Amino acid sequence: MAATFFGEVVKAPCRAGTEEEEEDEEERRETPEDREARRQLARKREVRLFRRQTKTSLEVALLEKYPCSKFIIAIGNNAVAFLSSFVMNSGVWEEVGCAKLWNEWCRTTDTTHLSPAEAFCVFYHLKSNPSVFLCQCTCYVAEDQQYQWLEKVFGSCPRKNMQVTILTCRHVTDYKTSESTSSLHSPFLKALKTQNFKEPPCCSLLEQPNIAHDLPAAVLSYCQVWGIPAVLYLCYTDVMKLDLVTVEAFKPILSSRSWKGLVKNIPQSTEILKRLMTTNEIQSNIYT
Amino acid sequence: MKKEYLHTLQGTRDERLRRMSFVLRSLWNIQMDMSFGSWIHVSHSDGHLFQVEYAQEAVKKGSTAVGIRGTDIVVLGVEKKSVAKLQDERTVRKICALDDHVCMAFAGLTADARVVINRARVECQSHKLTVEDPVTVEYITRFIATLKQKYTQSNGRRPFGISALIVGFDDDGIPRLYQTDPSGTYHAWKANAIGRSAKTVREFLEKNYTEDAIANDNEAVKLAIRALLEVVQSGGKNIELAIIRRNQPLKMFSAKEIELQVTEIEKEKEEAEKKKSKKIA
Repeated sequence: MAATFFGEVVKAPCRAGTEEEEEDEEERRETPEDREARRQLARKREVRLFRRQTKTSLEVALLEKYPCSKFIIAIGNNAVAFLSSFVMNSGVWEEVGCAKLWNEWCRTTDTTHLSPAEAFCVFYHLKSNPSVFLCQCTCYVAEDQQYQWLEKVFGSCPRKNMQVTILTCRHVTDYKTSESTSSLHSPFLKALKTQNFKEPPCCSLLEQPNIAHDLPAAVLSYCQVWGIPAVLYLCYTDVMKLDLVTVEAFKPILSSRSWKGLVKNIPQSTEILKRLMTTNEIQSNIYT
Repeated sequence: MKKEYLHTLQGTRDERLRRMSFVLRSLWNIQMDMSFGSWIHVSHSDGHLFQVEYAQEAVKKGSTAVGIRGTDIVVLGVEKKSVAKLQDERTVRKICALDDHVCMAFAGLTADARVVINRARVECQSHKLTVEDPVTVEYITRFIATLKQKYTQSNGRRPFGISALIVGFDDDGIPRLYQTDPSGTYHAWKANAIGRSAKTVREFLEKNYTEDAIANDNEAVKLAIRALLEVVQSGGKNIELAIIRRNQPLKMFSAKEIELQVTEIEKEKEEAEKKKSKKIA
């Protein structure tokens, strides 16, 4: 027996194996009630991909069903607002699927008119060039759901001849630096790329010991493991809600070579962005 | 703490027990790690006062305010928050008069600002009644700063989440501009900005605040508007401006007056650009 710092008395593990351990194992064995609870929880937390128009689920992974040369993923409401204003207005995009999931932090919405302030995860492809895909994800994907999401989107054996760009935001207080945070010029952009991504990124690389988190990190790691060229553009901002200044911080990406042809009318995009902000502005009177 | 551990009601009995004990241990660790950092009146082991720093973050969430001290004028310019359709615009104000000769603009928590402004206004009148003289700008700034500092050193309270720019003229006719922050410090400035994008505006002012730029009242007003236009997205529509001239009361600019100034500034910009392109050619 051993005592912990918190005053608990616990059994110290013994590699020899004794009769007492068998008694403990019997106690720890799952009851049918436990198994049922675990099954229900797993079913509730399942990530499902389906087509909203036909309400049918996608049997195979999204990128196995459709060929893809370019995949842009926007995670978070500011990144989604950026794509909606600057990329989606310069072509006709068709919805090919959406992800439905539940976790303690969010449930994806079922409404048809989506705004960046709601929780959703929708996939589109460009009608004029169906190998260009776009994903707008504003819902939080929990750690245990990330691998499911990756499998349902990329499949178990993804193609290596596509390029993935991920856009997301993080609060500037998460940025580790030897300078004082008050001297940082936020919002600012940092890039993190896989080994196979050869194009020069549109901003400086993310310095150590800073790391990416959540779904963007999961996608980037997945691409690194499978040798897919991918880049993550991380915007550090001091305003996590939908904010014009933060959305505009992503603008340097528009000059990237792989985005040529995807962005056409920038003045019109700025107008669309302003309208989006006004429609979605949460009238909070806490700060003036 | 892993987010899924917060939801402790699901899973097998063993899992639920393990999660509960994990949550309790994490809460204990957080308290020990922070070394009472959440207790405002006690410092963290490395000297930080976290509550004060959090209050400074709240200031960054407020819209930008800029203050400029001219030769014969003081100017306060703010980025107006967009108001809901059914909301009365008059009740959303960032520039407030503290007395006939002193006014202030703030950035941060609206409710905290209201409390500070009320206390400052009462102090201004109390001083006038007691000493038969209006407050000096420095006196009322020190009062506000002292009030803020008290709240960084009291148990059961939190610091005021606002920074303020206080401007005015003293009896000696000298224009003053002071800035206070949640920690209770105050300093005099020639020009400064607070709130969102304050850094961008301050850098603009460092480059453009010259003797020529404040040569006359109109130039000082234009400098304030130009500084705000660096960060305000929709142009003059979202700017509010107030000035105090020597021996004159506070004057709030109307939307038309601001538009006129913005138009002038844009003309000057165009002319400057034309000159530049001619020089290059």
